[in-house]
Amino acid sequence: MGALLRSFEGKRIAVVVGSGGVGKTSVSAAIALSRALAGGRALVCTIDPARRLATALGLGTLGNAEALVPAEAFAQAGLAPKGQLFAMMLDVKRTWDDLVTRHAPDPATRDRILGNRIYQQVSGALAGSQEYMAMEKLYELSTERDYDLIVLDTPPTAHALDFLEAPDRILDFVGNETARKLFAPAIDAGRFGARLIQAGTGFVAKTLSRFTGSDVLSDVGDFLGQFQGMYDGFKDRASSVRTLLTAPEVGFVLVASPSPLSVDEALFFHDHLRTAGMPVAGSVANRVTPDLWPFPGATPGPDALATALEAEGAGGDLAERLARTLEQHQAFARSDAREVERLRRGCSGPHVTVPRLEGDVHDLSGLAALAEHL
Amino acid sequence: MSGSDLLDRRLVVVTGKGGVGKSTVSAALAMLAARRGKRVLVVEVDARERVAPMLGGRPSGPLIRPVLPGISTVNVDPRHALEEYALMVVKVRAIYQAVFENRVVRFFLRAVPSLAETLMLGKILHEARSEERGRPRWDLVVVDAPATGHAVQLLGVPRALLDTVPGGPLRRDAEWMQALLSDPARTAVVLVSLPEEMPVTETAELDAQLGEGLKLPRGPVFLNAMPDARFTYGELERLRGLSASAPPLGPAARSAVLQAEQQERAQAQGARLGALLGRPLLPLPLLAADRWGRRAVERIADAMDGQL
Repeated sequence: MGALLRSFEGKRIAVVVGSGGVGKTSVSAAIALSRALAGGRALVCTIDPARRLATALGLGTLGNAEALVPAEAFAQAGLAPKGQLFAMMLDVKRTWDDLVTRHAPDPATRDRILGNRIYQQVSGALAGSQEYMAMEKLYELSTERDYDLIVLDTPPTAHALDFLEAPDRILDFVGNETARKLFAPAIDAGRFGARLIQAGTGFVAKTLSRFTGSDVLSDVGDFLGQFQGMYDGFKDRASSVRTLLTAPEVGFVLVASPSPLSVDEALFFHDHLRTAGMPVAGSVANRVTPDLWPFPGATPGPDALATALEAEGAGGDLAERLARTLEQHQAFARSDAREVERLRRGCSGPHVTVPRLEGDVHDLSGLAALAEHL
Repeated sequence: MSGSDLLDRRLVVVTGKGGVGKSTVSAALAMLAARRGKRVLVVEVDARERVAPMLGGRPSGPLIRPVLPGISTVNVDPRHALEEYALMVVKVRAIYQAVFENRVVRFFLRAVPSLAETLMLGKILHEARSEERGRPRWDLVVVDAPATGHAVQLLGVPRALLDTVPGGPLRRDAEWMQALLSDPARTAVVLVSLPEEMPVTETAELDAQLGEGLKLPRGPVFLNAMPDARFTYGELERLRGLSASAPPLGPAARSAVLQAEQQERAQAQGARLGALLGRPLLPLPLLAADRWGRRAVERIADAMDGQL
């Protein structure tokens, strides 16, 4: 077992973060798999896995429900787990609906919110919505289930901060007082007198409705009004999630590919995790070009290779192409090594480097091979 | 449409999965068009700006700035687009400020479905059709569009408005926006992909959404970072056997085998994408670039030159 996996002994939750396309899902699944192989009950919760990986994990159409990876799948991969591996695909919309259902004071309010156009925007396309629901699901799973390890594969967030700030941003949105006063005159009117409120907001609302149409504004007002009574429930829940994420049983794993943008993103994330008091378990540099020329001096030129090839009885223009290929390979390896070093120096906790494996990791044996490096 | 007349469009929208090289392709298209004497505007959409820095300039922010001869850049964001648009509609700045007070605007932009996208797309398309002294202000507007899902949302805005807004100024805006976007003589949507499993799958889905779904004119598909086939089958057999040899031959043979395996996988994924899309792809070379700057963009533009 590698340094990263060892740092999860005694931890119950892994949150895997990093920019899109760095292999977060594979790393998440490999962490969960290795716990299952060692005898634990492990769950990997992912958002949008590659199809073949999803199939390998038995994730077909099962939205938002945990599924046990079947024994045959392990047998096929030549693996004999001592424990169990579960996988689930997060359904953002469903998680929102469940949350509203949980907090709504009565079925009528619930149905009104679920049918509101603005709510559909909030639960679908609103920035931060996926991230918020990923945390919400994690909280639910960690408090209501008895897994030894839950691994959360986070959404492919464009910016690290979006993930950490998602709950605040969404709560600020659904509980926005200024906006509620502006757009929910109908609801306040009962309390404070319709005319007074209309005088203050009529002009603003009228101007805004030139951009959107007045029915959209009344939807906004209705949404904010309905949500008002549930706001405290949402806020308490979000603060519990935040507390959970700072607990010592949690470890954040930073995954980066060896590219400047990806490493910048991971380092940025790392600093914000530290500031927020969230425990960093370690960092992974994924898909790193191996160093094939760890010797002093430049890579060999065509002449040196031609001589070596002749000794093997081969010749022609092969030497020139070989020299070029090794030189280019080393250019990738050097630039990768520089980025890996930046990641390693900038992150606390153990660091592991995973070489570029053959093709994409898309089955259990591939995940097991990946886990060897962690 | 083949790639040959792409740069004669007024508007080229570049999209694809995150991390496939959209900004590089956008920058290279702009560079190639500028080399051919065109005045080009590159638009980034509410992004951490990459195109201007890649071309050796400073980020432009929300105001258009020249970065190289013939190339200007801008980063549109919803708040500035709203301000510009709202001032055109309400005309008086004091009224704008009274109505669009900061906190409310932030809220409003997030609450109203597609409002932010409408404003940004409106600003982009406005640039694409604007004229100065009787001729187009830009010969070509290149949009470095957001990734997959957000791009569909952005480009689907006029159609969604036409389906829901019965009349008034917003509908008239939606009408000219849709007319420009769906006109194959003026507009092309270009996809960028990588020869890897996830990007190929996502590119095929995106292509269908843009074509059959939104009925937008599709331009060429760039297959980025394509390794070249360098060794024959026989040579590779030989080199595999030599991989364990002492340096310098062993490491050189291993690099060749790795290159060939990567090339073979890329070739297979490229073929899969070609079959899924049913049209040819324009490959762009995998560069062994140590730093990703203007020189790399120039090399990509060179590679495009023969194909466009």
